[in-house]
Amino acid sequence: MTGEEIRPSRLHWWWLVVASAALVSAGLVAILLGAVDLDARAVILSIADRIPFVDVDSGLNNRQEAILWELRMPRVVLGGVVGAMLAVAGGSYQGSFRNPLADPYLLGAAAGAGLGATIAFAYGSGLPSGPIDTLPLLAFIGGVGGVAATYAIGYSVKAGRTPVTLILAGVAVAAFLTAVQTYLQQRNAETLREVYGWILGRLSTVGWGEVWLVLPYVIVSTVVILLGARRLDVLSVGDDEAVTLGVDPSRVRLVMVLAATLGTAAVVAVSGLIGFVGIIVPHAVRIVFGSSYRVVLPLSVLFGATFLILADLLARTVASPAEIPIGVVTAFVGAPFFALVLRSSRGLGS
Amino acid sequence: MNRALSLDAVGVRFNGSRILDSVDVEIARGEWLGIIGPNGAGKTTLLRAITGAVEFEGSIEISGTRTSAMKRRDLARSVALVPQHPVLPSGMRVVDYVLLGRTPHVHAVTGPSIHDLDVVAAILDALTLTAFMERDVTTLSGGELQRAVIARALAQESPILLLDEPTTALDVGKQQEVLELVDQLRRDRTLTVVSAMHDLTIAAQFPDRLVMLAQGEVVAEGDGRKVLDPALIRTHYSANVKILDDGSGGIVVVPLRSHQPINDSKN
Repeated sequence: MTGEEIRPSRLHWWWLVVASAALVSAGLVAILLGAVDLDARAVILSIADRIPFVDVDSGLNNRQEAILWELRMPRVVLGGVVGAMLAVAGGSYQGSFRNPLADPYLLGAAAGAGLGATIAFAYGSGLPSGPIDTLPLLAFIGGVGGVAATYAIGYSVKAGRTPVTLILAGVAVAAFLTAVQTYLQQRNAETLREVYGWILGRLSTVGWGEVWLVLPYVIVSTVVILLGARRLDVLSVGDDEAVTLGVDPSRVRLVMVLAATLGTAAVVAVSGLIGFVGIIVPHAVRIVFGSSYRVVLPLSVLFGATFLILADLLARTVASPAEIPIGVVTAFVGAPFFALVLRSSRGLGS
Repeated sequence: MNRALSLDAVGVRFNGSRILDSVDVEIARGEWLGIIGPNGAGKTTLLRAITGAVEFEGSIEISGTRTSAMKRRDLARSVALVPQHPVLPSGMRVVDYVLLGRTPHVHAVTGPSIHDLDVVAAILDALTLTAFMERDVTTLSGGELQRAVIARALAQESPILLLDEPTTALDVGKQQEVLELVDQLRRDRTLTVVSAMHDLTIAAQFPDRLVMLAQGEVVAEGDGRKVLDPALIRTHYSANVKILDDGSGGIVVVPLRSHQPINDSKN
């Protein structure tokens, strides 16, 4: 037998084509549907008109153009960016900790961002304003700070340090930050509704500001995570065996968690705590396409974006003109799905 | 002596207690060294020190180079380990599992070359794993799994192969099959083999030389007849054994019950 006769797991190009087609379709549908339905042909012409050197008349009036370019489009793009980041970060966490239940909020990112957001809602008006709004800034700082505290505690454990030590440190940090957040929320009951809405997640946005704010973080984080996919496959045989294969597991874990955390904190800052995307998307990809991270991570980017765009479409159309918090939609779809994942998985942590 | 591996005053501490204490061992190229000793003697720790998975005092040299001065990847190209309890990722196929052994040779981003795949294909052939290569590693039987783990270690193409109690979970037929395979591979590929071993008769029959560890120290070293001494085994294993000739120049170690059972059927 020669090397040509063996077929190791790999990412087939047509999987990428299928996933990209799903993403583009979901994006188009989400752009067309809403309180005001837009005409598909006109929308496509309007998009073509924005391509350099192409000049066509879409037939949309100024109000429709504004709805398309300043409301619908940025929201759909933001949904895609947030979904892609949460899904690929979830995959990165699951690989780094060899734990199928790991999600991007595992190490205190959610609790920290929640505390930051609560401070912004409660005391934001009294704080000096800078180039970035107080809310995303404090949520971002809170998210990164939560994970940094978890790492500081996890690393202070000298003997018998394992990935589980880090997860337990995250439990302690999350509990502490949530306690502080709850205390502040009780002291400022008038912000309860806003904080609660933020925790459930929302993509309501006007214009492109949020997209440009988070995009650099998401691109850098995603590229770093995708480049580390092969390393995560090595980590799946355990830290000791990874060492004998020439890989430093702590370093891989640090880089992958750092990248996932930065990206997650950035998207959480503009979207709130949208749950379940980071767990269900990588798992669904794993079940359908295989468990190698070289397959799971790139496809999670595309399907994560698709999933969140569709979830947001449901969130803003089902009870129109009212909006359901997007976190409610992802959990409503995600929880039953997750139960199925649990049923079909052959034991956790393996 | 053409040294493949030499350990000089190697010590390992964990939480203040000594697991290994000034171990000196030299292993020649192509030699098979068996490490025996009671549970907790430090056998696994010794192997882990050689792979760089635990910090140690003293020095470990591979062909004259200190392992502490080697890059992780270079060390992995020199030493491969077959662990006693390998972690099996569910959903991973045998071919992908064996290909992981190429990690120290494969570029982290661009992936395996056709040469890497050729190496894996040849090893799957040699270990009669071709029929299983599409199977999920978690579905293999004990003997198949042990072959897959050895295949992964061989894919590293390291001249030194460490085996941590490679036959513990296998029936007697599979034990012999796996150890004969290791011996065959050692001869074909001029491997230096170091194996921690539980079964003293097997330790007497396969390795060229034995080292007995007890409480982290080397208490005996030499050929099977010298190290497998009933008095030594009584001292360090608290076991009562008899050494018998196997009729073809080798020895077997037979455990004996120290006392006759108390016959209380009279009551």
